[in-house]
Amino acid sequence: MFAFILRRLGLLLPTFFGITLITFGLIRLIPGDPVEVMVGERTLDPQMHADAMHRLGLDKPLYLQYVDYLGNLASGNLGESLVTKESVWKEFATLFPATLELARMVMLFAAVFGLLAGVIAAIKRGSIFDHGVMGLALTGFSMPIFWWGLILIMFFSVKLGWTPVSGRLDLAFDIAPRTGFMLIDTWLAEAADPEINAGAFKDALMHLILPAIVLGTIPLAVIARMTRSSMLEVLREDYVRTARAKGLSPARVIFIHTLRNALIPVLTVMGLQVGTLMGGAVLTETIFSWPGIGKWLIDAISRRDYPVVQNGILMVATLVILVNFTVDILYGIANPRIRHAK
Amino acid sequence: MANVQASPATSAAEVALSYPSPLKEFWQGFSHNKGAVAGLIFMLAIAVSALLAPWLAPYSPIEQYRDAILTPPAWMEGGSSQFLFGTDELGRDLLSRLIHGARLSLLIGLTSVVMALVPGVILGLIAAFFPKVLGSLIMRLMDVMMALPALLLAVAIVAILGPGLVNTMIAIAIVALPAYVRLTRASAMTELNRDYVTASRVAGAGLIRLMFVCVLPNCMAPLIVHATMSFSSAILEAAALGFLGLGVQPPTPEWGTMLASARDYIERAWWVVSLPGLTILLSVLAINLMGDGLRDALDPKLKRAA
Repeated sequence: MFAFILRRLGLLLPTFFGITLITFGLIRLIPGDPVEVMVGERTLDPQMHADAMHRLGLDKPLYLQYVDYLGNLASGNLGESLVTKESVWKEFATLFPATLELARMVMLFAAVFGLLAGVIAAIKRGSIFDHGVMGLALTGFSMPIFWWGLILIMFFSVKLGWTPVSGRLDLAFDIAPRTGFMLIDTWLAEAADPEINAGAFKDALMHLILPAIVLGTIPLAVIARMTRSSMLEVLREDYVRTARAKGLSPARVIFIHTLRNALIPVLTVMGLQVGTLMGGAVLTETIFSWPGIGKWLIDAISRRDYPVVQNGILMVATLVILVNFTVDILYGIANPRIRHAK
Repeated sequence: MANVQASPATSAAEVALSYPSPLKEFWQGFSHNKGAVAGLIFMLAIAVSALLAPWLAPYSPIEQYRDAILTPPAWMEGGSSQFLFGTDELGRDLLSRLIHGARLSLLIGLTSVVMALVPGVILGLIAAFFPKVLGSLIMRLMDVMMALPALLLAVAIVAILGPGLVNTMIAIAIVALPAYVRLTRASAMTELNRDYVTASRVAGAGLIRLMFVCVLPNCMAPLIVHATMSFSSAILEAAALGFLGLGVQPPTPEWGTMLASARDYIERAWWVVSLPGLTILLSVLAINLMGDGLRDALDPKLKRAA
């Protein structure tokens, strides 16, 4: 097991360095003079220009600049935003819980309904329900989620007035951020001061529902499709027939004998959805003005805040490879054949 | 499958020899899937309207009718038969913009698929033929590109290159590249162990001939299926970039860009928001249905897989 983890780590490190090369190169590919781009002025005094080049380390050879960049990363220095002058790490750490809270809600929503729909579709293979679920899953998979978000807002927020249009919490509430997770923070605040903060938790939940549905649509569709095909495969196995033949109840056969074995590929697909989720978060957070890292990155791009773009992308990519690494390890634990494969 | 349906008059020997033509066999597999045929018909309609856009569209896509701003579609109260799908916030005919938008989406989709497919196949073949140094170098690079979320990478590339039609296509092609490389490499690796490849080698076939004449044709089935699927995700990504204001710039009628400018009218004019998005959804769905059918017809091994 330990050797397996080491081997996977050995694959992880080159990937990480590759990503730092990309984020390092990204900034240098911007057309035009980097100092002019950073300062935002066209005609700079040559002396000031040279000073700025020196201060930013841009007068060194490229490979030394890269070594500097790696050194900065190693000491936890991700640079600072050109606009807010805050450190990029601090901004990331403040905004990340919002995205994480959304992502967890999304995975909960997608996993529960995706598994349920996939299992029922597999059991009732060929039925109207099966065809309906698979049709809906393909539609969900084809969904332009930015449009889906607008349609849901149009219907539930504007027409019916059930859910708020944007943000994480109504401005009427003043909740001190303790964990950064709005659901927990509002829960704590309501418990501490039921008078003032009544309804804060419900409000936070209502803010979360639509973005979670929008961002969860594609993972939901993927999980439902994968669960169905994986279930169909396992249902053909001999041990399932044995379980049925010895008279176990259908529920026991399906949930204990079939679903547990069918889950392994589904779990892998769920892990791979994290990348999709981070890409989708960019769109979802923009539509719902959700103050997470997706919106942060898009705002940084439109403000030409290059240090944020550069290291924000680095952070997200690192996150994605770490999650994939964890899924790989879990998969190795669940399936010895993977662990011992060369 | 009932591929060979011989009449009773033909002898047994003849039956054994009369294979259906590959095209016919393919069509039998494809048309078996009703959804795929529906998708094909829808996409043919979209393609025809894209090709004939200047003649089919009732108006110019950028002509503004200032006295008919936000006219509802013809079947609604207040709508007029003059503007079948209504007009947008600047009084432009929505139907004409959607028809012209089809040109752009298909163009972006086709170009970016070709721009990813050609280098992807070449890199994948190189990786399969030289697995030791060059191959693992290429594959590590692709791993890195796969680690970046597709849309985020596309956004970053466009942010660096600047928004616009050509840069959108480049960004989408770069994002799509790793999947082609992996797919080509994987299928080429299995083919390389086959006897016919050894036979060609022994017969003295050169590297280029081995790559493109021997091996590549046998890797085409999964590549065609994947190209179809990535065509639909290219349309989605182009629309997403347009929606974020990083894609094709207004007043060019791109479906995603149309949605972005329609956002402010969400309370007053549902058609400005609904119709472009519905067009995107239906096109992407149609292509994905076609992809499912292609997989059934071309790649029996993958049949019924998710």
